[in-house]
Amino acid sequence: MNNALEIDGLGWRAGRFFELRDLRLRVPRGSIYGFLGPNGSGKTTTIRMLMGMMKPDHGRIRVLDMDVPRDMPRILARVGYVPERPHVYPALTVGEQMRYHASFFGKWDAGWARETMRRLELEPDRRISRMSKGETGKLLILLALSQRPDLLVLDEPTDGLDPVVRRDVLTAVLDYVGETNATVFISSHLVHELERICDWVGVLDRGRLVVELPMTQFKNGIKRIKVSGAPETPVDPPFTILSRQQTNGAGTETWIVRGWQDSMKQYFDGVGLDLRDVVDLDLEEGFVELLRSSRPGTPGGS
Amino acid sequence: MFDDVDPRSPTPLYEQIAARVRVAVASGDLAPGDSLPSVRALARQLRINPATVVQAYRDLAGDGFVDLRHGQGTFVQEVAQYVRDEEREAQATEIVRRAMQEAARRGLGADELARAFEREAGVKIRE
Repeated sequence: MNNALEIDGLGWRAGRFFELRDLRLRVPRGSIYGFLGPNGSGKTTTIRMLMGMMKPDHGRIRVLDMDVPRDMPRILARVGYVPERPHVYPALTVGEQMRYHASFFGKWDAGWARETMRRLELEPDRRISRMSKGETGKLLILLALSQRPDLLVLDEPTDGLDPVVRRDVLTAVLDYVGETNATVFISSHLVHELERICDWVGVLDRGRLVVELPMTQFKNGIKRIKVSGAPETPVDPPFTILSRQQTNGAGTETWIVRGWQDSMKQYFDGVGLDLRDVVDLDLEEGFVELLRSSRPGTPGGS
Repeated sequence: MFDDVDPRSPTPLYEQIAARVRVAVASGDLAPGDSLPSVRALARQLRINPATVVQAYRDLAGDGFVDLRHGQGTFVQEVAQYVRDEEREAQATEIVRRAMQEAARRGLGADELARAFEREAGVKIRE
């Protein structure tokens, strides 16, 4: 099995506006894949579909080499899921919720769960209705990990949590991955967090995956460059120009480009342009520029 | 030693980690036989994917800087002097490149940079 998750031609429409369009996605086995996208782009919908909770109009989903929804019970036994909205019962205590959860999973590791619960500073007698957001966040990850999954599907697992709890949650995930080589599919707005831990990134925008690359390739490929003497229409650039802006009156422009490689500096000599500077963008900047350029009303751009 | 790795840099984290080990070996801060932090400990400390640490250590092992002893840890190897010298040269070159890039950004010429370097370092580098 090469991929822990494969999605092909996924399509779904709700009303006139929201659509998942021809979504194709690959999560390599053993990777930590960051699923990025603006609010409303379809991330949670995609996740619900791969968890068999929603039915697409068309397309194919394979999780750990099994078919959704046909093999759903076997899939659920091997996938640890942290949903966007907590799926725990407020009336139960931590201990009761864990026993309840454990009853579904044959591979549940009670000893590990107890020890990790202690490390995460959760009390078995704590009633869930009394717990803070942070405690609930920790409980959700504890439940997902205690079933010893081969794939973790995390929908905004640290959203709204304080920095200390966020670290606890991510540490628990990273420790688990280190021990087991499990695959992680994580969607989050906390781009800087994803930047630390993900080796793949997929960017969803308005129902379609616009980028899917190894993290380093994505980051190295998006640059902010300063160019002098650029014509209206640059001749056949080897990279994609996402946007162009005048930097000053002296004819220097700032371009955001995608698909950049260092060797492309030669292109500028070839067409008589002056390449003044090449600036690295971090993941968040790259992501924002990528999405900004695809919105109408962007100056220049392709 | 690894505290200042920058996840926001386009340089892959595994490269940043491996580079720091190479620098330390070249300078003698890490001696043959010294052990590197365990994969798990370093991944925890930096809050990064353990696979990233594994890749850094594998790269270092491939270059002969460390020995991966399964179950025991990762140990610095004896590295030939010329390898250490080459590493030091590569480090110096990288620093100079970065300085030149920054100078260009500010509209300063190589000559101005050289003059400033001579003043600060007390080393003559021009004719």
